[in-house]
Formats: sequence, C-alpha cells, structure tokens
Amino acid sequence: MLYKIRHITSYQYNTPVSLAYNNACLLPRNTEYQSCLDHSLSITPKATTVAKRKDYFGNNTFNFCLEEPHKELKVDIQSTVRIADVRLIDMNLDIGNSWEYALELLRNAQDEATLRAREFTMDSTIIRANDELAKYAAESFTPNRPLLSAARDLTHRIFTDFAYDPGFTTVSTPLADVLKHRRGVCQDFAHLAIGCLRSLGFACRYVSGYLETLPPPGKEKLVGSDASHAWFSIYSPGEGWFEFDPTNDNMPSKQHITTAWGRDYSDVAPLKGVIFEGGGSQTLSVSVDVARLEG
Amino acid sequence: MAQQQSQSNSTSSESLRYHSSSDAHDEALSANGELLPPWQQLLARIEELGVHGLADRTDKIRRILRDDGAIYSAGGRTSVWGLDPLPIVLSANQWREIELGLIERAQLLDFVLKDLYGNQEIIRRGLVPPEVIYNHPGFIRACHHTHLPGQHHLILYAADLVRDPSGQICVLSDRTQAPSGTGYALENRLVMQRVFPLLFRDSGIRMMRGFFNSLRNQMVRLAPDKNLRNGEGPRIVILTPGAYSETFFEHAFLANYLGYPLVQGKDLTVRKGHVWMKTLDGLSRVDVILRRVDDSYCDPVELRGDSQLGVPGLLEVVRAGNVSVANPLGSGILEAGALMKYLPAISEHFFGKSLRLPNAPTYWCGEEDDRHYVINHLKQLRIKPAHGHFDSHAIYGNSLSEGELNELSLKIQKNPNSYVAQQYVQPATGPCWRNNSLQPRPFALRTFAVADDQGYQVMPGGLTRAAANARDQLISNQLGAVSKDTWVELPEESDGATAQSSAPLLVNRTVDSSLPSRVVENLFWVGRYAERSDLALRLLRTVFMQLNGANQLPPEAERLLLYSVTQLTMTYPGFTEAKEDLFDNPEKELMSVVLDHKRMGSVSGSLRAMLRSSAEVREMLSSDTQRIMNDIDDEIEQLHITLRTGMSSAPEEALDPLVTRLLALGGLFNDSMFRGMSWHFLEIGRGIEKIYQLATLMRSLLVSVCTQDESEAVCVESILSTTEGLTTFRRRFRNDASLYNVLATLMLDRSNPRSLIYQLEQLQRYITALPKTNTSAPESSREERALIEAITSLQLADLGRLVEVSGENKAVRGQLDQLLVRMQELMDVMASAISDVYFDHAAGPQQLVQNPWTID
Repeated sequence: MLYKIRHITSYQYNTPVSLAYNNACLLPRNTEYQSCLDHSLSITPKATTVAKRKDYFGNNTFNFCLEEPHKELKVDIQSTVRIADVRLIDMNLDIGNSWEYALELLRNAQDEATLRAREFTMDSTIIRANDELAKYAAESFTPNRPLLSAARDLTHRIFTDFAYDPGFTTVSTPLADVLKHRRGVCQDFAHLAIGCLRSLGFACRYVSGYLETLPPPGKEKLVGSDASHAWFSIYSPGEGWFEFDPTNDNMPSKQHITTAWGRDYSDVAPLKGVIFEGGGSQTLSVSVDVARLEG
Repeated sequence: MAQQQSQSNSTSSESLRYHSSSDAHDEALSANGELLPPWQQLLARIEELGVHGLADRTDKIRRILRDDGAIYSAGGRTSVWGLDPLPIVLSANQWREIELGLIERAQLLDFVLKDLYGNQEIIRRGLVPPEVIYNHPGFIRACHHTHLPGQHHLILYAADLVRDPSGQICVLSDRTQAPSGTGYALENRLVMQRVFPLLFRDSGIRMMRGFFNSLRNQMVRLAPDKNLRNGEGPRIVILTPGAYSETFFEHAFLANYLGYPLVQGKDLTVRKGHVWMKTLDGLSRVDVILRRVDDSYCDPVELRGDSQLGVPGLLEVVRAGNVSVANPLGSGILEAGALMKYLPAISEHFFGKSLRLPNAPTYWCGEEDDRHYVINHLKQLRIKPAHGHFDSHAIYGNSLSEGELNELSLKIQKNPNSYVAQQYVQPATGPCWRNNSLQPRPFALRTFAVADDQGYQVMPGGLTRAAANARDQLISNQLGAVSKDTWVELPEESDGATAQSSAPLLVNRTVDSSLPSRVVENLFWVGRYAERSDLALRLLRTVFMQLNGANQLPPEAERLLLYSVTQLTMTYPGFTEAKEDLFDNPEKELMSVVLDHKRMGSVSGSLRAMLRSSAEVREMLSSDTQRIMNDIDDEIEQLHITLRTGMSSAPEEALDPLVTRLLALGGLFNDSMFRGMSWHFLEIGRGIEKIYQLATLMRSLLVSVCTQDESEAVCVESILSTTEGLTTFRRRFRNDASLYNVLATLMLDRSNPRSLIYQLEQLQRYITALPKTNTSAPESSREERALIEAITSLQLADLGRLVEVSGENKAVRGQLDQLLVRMQELMDVMASAISDVYFDHAAGPQQLVQNPWTID
C-alpha cells in the first residue's frame, strides 16, 4: 500500500508575532511495517533554523525558529509512505500469553525489550492510573483469557459504550470526564484504553497517525477531508507490541499510517512552542489528505 | 583589677573547654574524650582569645556578612547568612580519603548520566529497575542524546556527607543539577580570613582558589569549538532565576568572583541557532552557560511550558552543539533518591570495584524485600518520595506516632514505587559557639567537585552546616542551622607552595561593555528612586521644621508647603484637596507620605523600590554600596519606631539619618564607581529625576503669587533649604532675597550642582557617551533633541519676565510655570526615549497551544 499524505497546519494571529520557537511531530516514522519513502517540509514565513532529528521514542521530529514578524504560520508537510502488504491478516487473538502470565512476565522478565517496555506501564503527563479505570477494564479480563483477546474486547467495549462526539472534548478534557460522560474523540478513546490497561499494570503506548477514509459509494473524495487519528498499542512480553483502534473497533492494518508514538498525546503533540508578542486571539486550521497511490 | 582579670579567665577557660556529652561520634574528640591532633592547636588559640574575644569576633563575622549582603532566603524569609566562628578541621589523611571517594563517586555518576541519556545500559542490563528512572521528573526525555564537549557531562558535583557513629564518612545525598554552596563556602573562608588572620597564617590550611581556577578552566573548555574561530575566548554567563531565588547572593557573588555576567532568562535570546545576550551594544553571542536554574525551567518550548525563567529554544541550541550548559539539562535525574541504592552494584558491574565513599543504606519500596524491610523498620529510617527532587519532604520514622506509622505503611503498600527510605545516620558532632560556650552540635559537610581535563578536582573543605540544637535530626537553614568554614590541613610532607599552586588560567572573554540591558535598566531606576526619595525627604524635613518652628507660619505659606509635599511625591489627592480638616491636622497625612510604603510615591515606597532595583543588580554594586543599602533598609524600619511616638518629638530629626545615608550613597556613586555604561545609566536616572523634581518643587512653591511678603519669604527659604542652597544664597545675596535671585540660583547658576542648567549639562555629557544605536542617521536622537531644547529654553529665559505676573491670571507667574512644565515634559521624553532605545521590552513568552497539563 502506498500513500501520499499532505498535512497543512496554519495559525492566524490577530497581531503580529515577533518571534516563535516550535517543535513539531508531524513527519511519519518508520515502523516494522511502514517506511516513509520521502517527505517535504515547507514553513512560512521562512524559518531561520530547521533541525530534524529522532526524538527519544524514535519519532521524526523537528524544531524551527521564526525570527521575522508574522501574522500567519503555515507548516505544510507532504510525505510518501509504504505499508507492507503482510501487515495483519486476520490474526488469531485467542492464542498467546494469558493476561495473568503476561503481567507476571512484565514484572519479572529481565530481557531488554520487556525492561524498556516498562517505561509505558507508568503514569504519564496526561494519563494517571486509577481504580475506576481498572474497574472498567476488569470486565474484559476474565481468568486465563489471552492478553490480546482481552485487549480486543476492551477496544470493542469502548467503541460500543462511548459516543464519538467531536464537540464534547478538547485536548485538556480529563479522562475522568470522558469516562463519566461516555463520549469523546479518537484521542480520548486511545487515552482511555491506555489508562484502563495501565491501571491493570500493562505497558501501552499512544500512537498518532492518519486513517485513510473512503468517500461514500459513488462520490468523489473531498480534498482536505481526512484527519489525523490516534489509537494505542499494548506490549505482550515475548510477543511484541500490538495495536488496537477503539474509535473504529479494529486492529490497525493497511489503512492506518503511523506518525509517532509516546506515552500519551503530550509526547507526540503535532505542534507546540512559544511565541513572543502579538498572537492575541489565534485561529488554527488543519487540513489533511491521505491519497492512495497504489495497492 | 588583677582579681577580676583572673576571674574572667577562669570562667572563660571553663566555657571554652570542649567536651561532648552525647553518645554520637565527635569530630574533635577521641573515644576517651581527648582532643584529636588537628583540633588541639585551634582550640588552644580559641582559648587564648577568651570568651569576650570570641564573642567579639562572632559579632564581627555577623557584621561583615551583613555588609556583604550575604543572605539566604527560605520559606519566604530572608536572613543573614550564619557563620559559626569555629571551623571544622580535617587532617590531610582524613581529607585524602574523602577526596578520593568523591572523585570516584563523581566519575560513577558521570558515567550514569551519559548512559541514561544514551544507551541506557544500566536499565537494559537489569541493574536499575526502569521505574526508578522513567518515573522520575528529573529524567528529561527531550535531553536524550545531547552532548557536551570533553569527556565529562557531570561538571559540578556536590555531596552531603556526615560521619556516622562508627566514625565512617557516608553520603546522604548527591547534588548534580545546579549544586549550591560553593559561593557560600568561599564567602565563609574570606570572612574567616578577615576575622582570624593570625590563625590562618599559622594553621597551614589548604586554600580554595585552586578549585575555582579549575571551575573557570572547565567553563572555558566547555565552549563549543566551532564558536571560537577568531581566537577570542568564550563568553561565559551565569544564569540565575533572579533576585528572589533562595541563593541569589551566591549567584551574584560567584558572578563577581569568576568575572562572568549574571543573567536571567529574559536577558538571553535564541537567534540563528545560537544563544545571545541582549546588551546595550546589541546581541552578544554566549558560548557557555553556568546555570542555577533547575533544568525543567530552562526552556519553555520543550520543557515546562509555564516557565518564565528559561530561554525559549535553548535546548535545541544545546542539541546543535552551539552552546554548552553546565550542568547539562537533565542532570537532575542523578538526584533520584532510589538511584543511590543501585550505585554500588553499578560500580561493581562496570568498574569492578566497590565505592570507597558509600551512601547511607538506601531502600526502594518498589523492590519487595526492601518494602518488607522498610515497613518493619520505619522508626530507624528517613522516608522520602522516590520521585521528588529534594530531601525536604523527608519523614523521620522515629518522629511519628503509632497511628502515623500505620498510615505511612499503608501508603507505602498502596504505592510502593513512590517511596525511598534511607537508614537514619546520626551525624557526628563538632564544637560550635553557642550561648558563649563551646557545645557539640551535629553537622553535615557539603563537598564539591568540578570536572577538569584529567578527572575531577575537589574543593579542599566545603560548606559545613551545624544544627541549631544538639538533638536536631535535620540540619537545615530553616531550622536555624549555621554554617562553618571547613579547614583541611596541608599534608605534612608538602611544602605549602606546591600544594597550593593551581593550574594556569585559560582565557575567557573578559567582562566588556556588554552588560545585559536589564542591568542598566535597574541602575537607571536605582538612580531615579534614590533622587526621588532624597528630595522628598529633604522637603519633608523642611516642612516639619517650618510647621514646628517657633513662629506661627502664615496660613497661606503653610498651605503652599503642604501642597508642595503632595505635588512632589505625587501622593494624590493629599493636600491638593480642599479639605479643611486635612490642613488643620496635617500630621497624619504627612506621616503616611513618609511611612506608608504601599502608597505610591511615599518616601518609604520609593526607598524600597530603590532597594528592589539594587537587589536585582547587586553584583554591580561595591560592598560599601551594599552596606549603605542595608543601612537604608534598617533606617526605614527604624523610622517606623521613631515616628510612631507622634509629631511631638521633632520628626525632622528622625529623617536625618536617611538623608545622610542617601548622601553617602550619592558620594559612592560619584567616587567609587567605574565610569562604565552602568554608571552612565545610573547618573542619567539621577539627573532626569533631579531636574524633574526641582521643576515640580519650583512650580508648587514659586509659581503662585503670595498675597503677603512673609509667605513668599517662607516659600523661598523652604525651597532653598530643601535644595541645600540656603547658606550660600544668604551669603551671596545678603540684602536681596528677591525672586529674581532665587530663580537665578536654582535655574542658571552653573556653580550650584542642583541647578537645572548644571544638571542638564551633566546629562548632556552622559547622553553623548551612550553607544549609538543608529550611527548612520543624520539627525540627533530623540533624547538629544529633548536635551538641547531644555538647555536652550533655559539659556533664552528672561528671568525678569519669568518673575512677572502677566496675562489673565494674576495669581500665578504664567511664564515661569510654562517653562517648568515644558522642562518636566522634556524629562519625560528623555526617559521614554532612553527606555525605548536601551531597555529590553520583550514581553514574556506565551505558549502557542495552551498546555493544559500540569507537569510535576
């Protein structure tokens, strides 16, 4: 599967901003199944420095600095990404580590991968484990059930129990509110699932990326109609990381394109930074296009 | 007489005889209570001094520390740094063990630091549980793969040591982020050398200079190679959170001692991939930052977004290798409490040796065995949060009730990863001077090491702190602990000279005209507030004198005088209101104008504003200036006490001490400040204020036409005595105190340093000396034009006509008023022009996306 992705972020300010320092996490990373073949990056106004690097989690990130007064910031990214055809063809989730055994391995195994994965069992900036989350999750974790089957079930339950409601939450809505009101967007559902699983002691990452959307039958696809997306990944010792998408009740495969992963959204926020002067009220607009080139 | 002498000697020797009653190990005494060799000479000399001698020296120490402005702030309280007259003495052999242990520990921690921000072998190999590191706020993922030039990342290291009851030295905590204390240790040494010069000469003590030279050299080595193309040395700065940080004294002190500019985050800016200091001459590139700001506060772009103390974009410049920060950002992770537990194993695993200087036994409750041990031995332990930065939240198990112990063990069981416990080590005691006798007090020693091209250099000695009470478990400044100088004896075999020599100094760029703009701005305001307070004080003194004088004042004159107080201090509405009872009983309002510091324009308000501005730039002020600032602070307090008794007791005299202090301050500005940019801005501030205030005073006292000659005489006398011109004026114009002559004296007399023309011409000299920001512009700058207009208008003034009453309003001298109003306007223009051109106006940074999360 070959995709061309265009992601444009722009900020409009009421009064000119004199200086801006930013950090962006917008370039797709490579994964076991995915390779980013090329990308182009254009920033207006012209940045005095742009520095690309891999961050702590191996994501492609870049910092840039704007030193001329500007009323608009525009970051335009185009990338070509290939997803391996072998990815996930009907996995059988009813075999593999039971969740109890997985938990025990996670606590005691001394292999590098498991030790490193323990970083994702802990509270992070946005996600704090608690009893309520554990309680919600527990229903899926019946005795001796394979970990992945339980995780799939939790994913399904979130999809069923929670309403997709873009108007309800913002990036700062606490998990407790999401749980209480049973609504949110992809980011909330990913955080919720992670919170549930970490409350039981499992290692989970937050994954940001895109989902290819198909137009209704017989209609043309609209430009800019796609959006960035988020889901989660869980670690099973000895078996690796497995991804689930509670917003769509599935396991990401060839239509999910990964940008970055971290402990939660705050590790992979698409654009953050500080501005000097001006700003005032600002308007953000984002446009995303995911176009299938082949496959 | 002889008898008295011998009596006092006997009490003296009794209270100066040192013995320890506690069961703890004592630093100065052997097991059977005899003085150990390094202490014998010291205590013999102390005994010679006698109780009174030692008490005198203690006073002297206190005085010097206060005059040096050596303060420490904690828990919202600022107090003068406390220094005990008795040092801790360590023999050369004792010290050698400590020194080797510290070097080894510094090297180990340096290894761990590089590993954690690199491959994380200590985690991959299972030597340290992931939770110990990954859960700690000091582990900053954004710092992954950042590098410093040279082989070390841990540049400055400090360890808190105590001697345990068995006599073994052990480490209580490691400080790796921005260790404080080197400056206080040095200040202690300098003060002790002044107070006990002979003792120093005879004792053979190792000096500290070598350590600071190593620090200087290391800062030079840290400069990125690529920054230094044209053979200049690097520019090194000290980054401080500002005048309100706990240890600001030390930041300023070190800046002066090391010769580095002291900057705050807002003095620096990131442009074109480098860090720059905003100076009068524009931006100057910075190569090395010695930081005293906690790492998470250093860059709001990638670290704590709510920080106003940092430099936005700093981390990316570090990453690019265009600036070096010491200690590097992220080094706070080495202070993680639980890490201590694993240091011995890491040392064994990678270096095949055990630590010469062990830490107190440490337990992390995330490990099952440790958890059981901790819960069963809470009473013998200090329990700390595993993920906090500081020890300040430590709980001493033996201070808890049964109920509290149960509560704590439940908390630990619920959240075991979050707790670390350390065996409580009862610190050894040492002799302290308390209540006029030598008493044993528990003490801890903070030691310091700095990286160099070979390994680490250790400061001989360090900062000792001794508890206030014999039974204190916690040695904390907040609980009244005092510091002590720490003496390390020279090794016997060495001759003093070689042991004391130190590496030659590498060259860094000297402090040039590139002062941060913030510094000159503060000096400008020191000048303005000093003059504002000065003239207000003088006027109030005059007014009090007139009101309390033997002769009844004409009511007209009294009203004008009171009116002038409100006008000069701008404490409206005050005496500008037509409230008769206010004029009948003016005392209350006058007291408020003097004392009410919350009231804008009040004398104590302006003085405090001056003190605040000067505190921001204390590194620029001489110690004499610092002392006068301290005195002014004390006098303001004193004023409250003196004046509370009411008006009866000659309030004008109560103001005298402050007038004198301000006079002394002016004298110091003139006589002992280098004529650099900082001085020019200070003087410009003073000049602008003097002119403005004199114009105000003349407007309020000389513009109104008095109906009685007697009233006019009072006004003239008052303005002349306020501006110190009365005596000269009387001598000169014995028979002619006409308004004409008064105006001539106040406006045009070049021999009167308070006259408008004198001050304006001075200002012109200072303004000319300022760096020109736009040299190509053909026209004069705004401030120059304002000055030329002011001087010209004075030169063109026709005094005869100014004195006249002309125009519609027969009650005022309209032309005089017009001229003075214009003078005030021009001073405002100057002040704002200078501010626009030379001061920094950048508003603080704001987040692009409001960060909704709180970060611990």
